[in-house]
Amino acid sequence: MSVGGVAFAVLLILLVVSLYRGWSEAGGLFEELPADIWLAQAGTDDPLRTTSFLPADRLEELTALPGVRTVVPVYARRIAVRPRGSKLNVYFMALAAPSGVASTPAARRFLPRPGSIVVDSVFAREAGLRVGDTLDVLGRSLLVERVEPGGNPIFEIAFMNGEDARALLALDGYVSYYLVTLDPGADAAAVARDATAVVTGSEARTAADFANATRDLVSQGFLPVVGALVGIGFAIGGAVIALTIYTATIERARDFGVLKAIGADDGFLYRIVLQQSLGVGAAGAALGVALSSLAATLIRRDVPEFVTDLQPLDAAAVFAIALLLSAAAAFVPVRRISRIDPAMVFRA
Amino acid sequence: MNGSPLLRAVGLVKVFGSGRTAVRAVDDVDIEARAEEISLVMGPSGSGKTTLLTMLGGLLHPTEGRIEIDGTDVTALGKLDLARFRRETVGFVFQTFNLLETLTAQENVEIALNVAGVTGERAHARATEVLVAADLRDRLDFRARDLSGGEKQRVSIARALANRPRLLLADEPTANLDSHQGREVMELLRRLAKEEGCGVVTVSHDTRLLGIADHVLLLEDGRIRPESTTADVLSA
Repeated sequence: MSVGGVAFAVLLILLVVSLYRGWSEAGGLFEELPADIWLAQAGTDDPLRTTSFLPADRLEELTALPGVRTVVPVYARRIAVRPRGSKLNVYFMALAAPSGVASTPAARRFLPRPGSIVVDSVFAREAGLRVGDTLDVLGRSLLVERVEPGGNPIFEIAFMNGEDARALLALDGYVSYYLVTLDPGADAAAVARDATAVVTGSEARTAADFANATRDLVSQGFLPVVGALVGIGFAIGGAVIALTIYTATIERARDFGVLKAIGADDGFLYRIVLQQSLGVGAAGAALGVALSSLAATLIRRDVPEFVTDLQPLDAAAVFAIALLLSAAAAFVPVRRISRIDPAMVFRA
Repeated sequence: MNGSPLLRAVGLVKVFGSGRTAVRAVDDVDIEARAEEISLVMGPSGSGKTTLLTMLGGLLHPTEGRIEIDGTDVTALGKLDLARFRRETVGFVFQTFNLLETLTAQENVEIALNVAGVTGERAHARATEVLVAADLRDRLDFRARDLSGGEKQRVSIARALANRPRLLLADEPTANLDSHQGREVMELLRRLAKEEGCGVVTVSHDTRLLGIADHVLLLEDGRIRPESTTADVLSA
């Protein structure tokens, strides 16, 4: 019973913490795309809330720059789609990747075949899409080729084929970004300077810039709420642990009375309570971590829009905190123990 | 008789409440007990037996009177000294056994030793010794909740004797036992009191205990009936 109470508290805390982690890592997609430098139209700080147009005819010049290994034009545009009648604004991206880039496993994740799209699991769930389903995008029916894990309900992102993007996104003569990868040992600053000289009105960004911009979006809007939930989770979890330990102690008031009757002083009883609290805390925290891990797995599978990321370090930290709370909770019933009348043991 | 009394209580009074609602649960009681002897205090329910025993054990402060056990004035001790006095000098046997149900027989005795500062192998060995003496050799690792009433009371007696107390106080030790178990417990109490050299004061209204008692006192309405005899007790 006591172990269950602590396990519940740890489960509550860890789920909220993993929710916080999950949302904190929004925008990580930009860091997964194959680019050392994102060449964007000047003023494009946040790819999800601003638009970038760059001339499409600079690919060869950019590719020829010293230190440049590959250049991939990217088409991107937010488009409203209506899967099953519900409206979703989806950020469609397409990597017009040359064959060399397409051969890398990381790049293949974002390169659907013509007529197909790759969506993340959050978008798939919200849109009711599965592999093999079709989605109408600007009058063209595109096949869902793959559902990638992850995603985020605030900004759905999907990838389409480069050829399809050229036709559908109507960016004639323009691309949104150039993704530039560098040769080993190349001077990134020098390449960035040369690239922006080649593409007038552009500026060089990094994947981290865009990822952080997305995280800022989350941290300004949603993360404070989750952060407050984390605080509430710790407060409730701590209260549950304290109450559990207190209740368990009070339930054994007669046992403590017996020990007092046979000569135990308060210090001896406090040590017992502390040992038992730590034992209950450790067992409950271990169970709670195991349950959290199971719950996080089930949530990722069945409710992907509940974005969670349960990290081992967080689990270890919450385990340690549960032990500390259990130790602190052992002091809650101190007054109650000291007031136990040992003569009570003579009452049947 | 074995020399000077181990326990001497004089003029014990315990009043509960005050004013018109005051109740004199124990009223001017004198009692003595000696080592290796069993003193039996009998009386009907509500006669003040348990209140008397609770005071003798230092768990209840008398309103008036003085209790001296093994040369110590118990009534003059503070809370900490009383706790030390109880763990070093007195053993308790309870009507409802009061074992820690989730612990084994061995652990129930060991924890009493731990309370007195005896730990580790010494506590284990002593616990085994008294449990074996209480005929519980094959019940050492049984949890208290899995023992019969008679076995529980034998563990309780072993626990009470573990720290080699000078005085053992037993509250209705046979009340929750059938006649066979009650007889076994009485014989055990008698035997171990002799072996351990401690005095025993037991309160009960079980007349079967008359057979093992060296002295019998009859308590009625909080007062010792003068010149109590076995016949008085049986007729009470």
